[in-house]
Amino acid sequence: MSESETTRDKWGIAHVHASFNNTLITVTDLTGAETIVKSSGGAVVKQNRDEASPYAAMQMAESVAEEIKAAGIEGLHVRVRGPGGNDNKSPGPGAQATIRALARAGLEIGRIEDVTPIPHDGTRAPKNSRL
Amino acid sequence: MSRIALTGTPGTGKTTVSELVAEAVDVEVVHLNDAIREAELFEERDVERDSLVADLDGVEAWLDEREASSGGHADEGTERDVLVESHLAHLLDVDRVIVLRCHPDELNPRLRERGESEASIAENAESEALDVILAEAVERHGAESVWEIDTTGRAPETVADDVAAAIEGDTEPRVGVVDFVEYL
Ligand SMILES: Nc1ncnc2c1ncn2[C@@H]1O[C@H](COP(=O)(O)OP(=O)(O)O)[C@@H](O)[C@H]1O
Ligand SMILES: [Mg+2]
Repeated sequence: MSESETTRDKWGIAHVHASFNNTLITVTDLTGAETIVKSSGGAVVKQNRDEASPYAAMQMAESVAEEIKAAGIEGLHVRVRGPGGNDNKSPGPGAQATIRALARAGLEIGRIEDVTPIPHDGTRAPKNSRL
Repeated sequence: MSRIALTGTPGTGKTTVSELVAEAVDVEVVHLNDAIREAELFEERDVERDSLVADLDGVEAWLDEREASSGGHADEGTERDVLVESHLAHLLDVDRVIVLRCHPDELNPRLRERGESEASIAENAESEALDVILAEAVERHGAESVWEIDTTGRAPETVADDVAAAIEGDTEPRVGVVDFVEYL
């Protein structure tokens, strides 16, 4: 195995699904084909979502980070899907809280991409309509 | 007079339900998708998604003009409420937002029957699973102005009853009623 391949093997892609009510993380290899870790989800306690949201997402990210490191991954590129949080105003548990927790757990964070789907049916909103 | 948005991912039943609601409640329904096409309220075309990219300022101006020309004075309170039906309606300046929801497993066949492309079905189902429209509605208008209604496994007539109740002020705003992420 060449040195560059060895280095590349230490990186993965974190797919962060951040919905209004929940956050899920799946970590795959760089091709996206092989799943290394699948989170069980950071469901929000509905009665008290304001306090619970970032906390649940962070707790999940911390336990996922341990599994990722145990699998030998040192760095992650991040693909965020979902409206739950590219900033603090967002109602969801939050992608940002998740990414910060992964970084704090000692993982190197590479490129962050927003691949949130766009609802459409012959019409769609402009990209800048998201606050 | 107030302006109410009836929004939700394509296929959740907005157009179907809006017509049933209009039979029961004194509202004027605006089918925004038709208006965007007919009055050319778009900026460009998204070729990949075969969709017109709406000009939201243009839409807002079109709605204002339409109300003014129907003799409306917003402060008189005598005109009929306007129900704007579209998956873009929550992006407008509205007083209340009703968001229809549908489990992606049920949304898929609804969209397929309507003849949408597989790529569109997949992107809309994922949008629904991720609460994209609900989150936008709450972010923009606050949870105290949003009524989320789950249509999964329910007949359009029952959904229309819930929408009518929200319009008439018989129910309280409510969000966070579904969690579809396990679909992903
Ligand atoms: N409650 C429902 N249950 C089952 N099918 C429905 C329901 N509401 C709508 N449909 C069907 O789903 C499709 C999409 O409905 P439509 O009203 O066009 O949705 P929208 O306007 O939100 O895109 C149509 O074929 C319609 O007949
Ligand atoms: Mg429609």
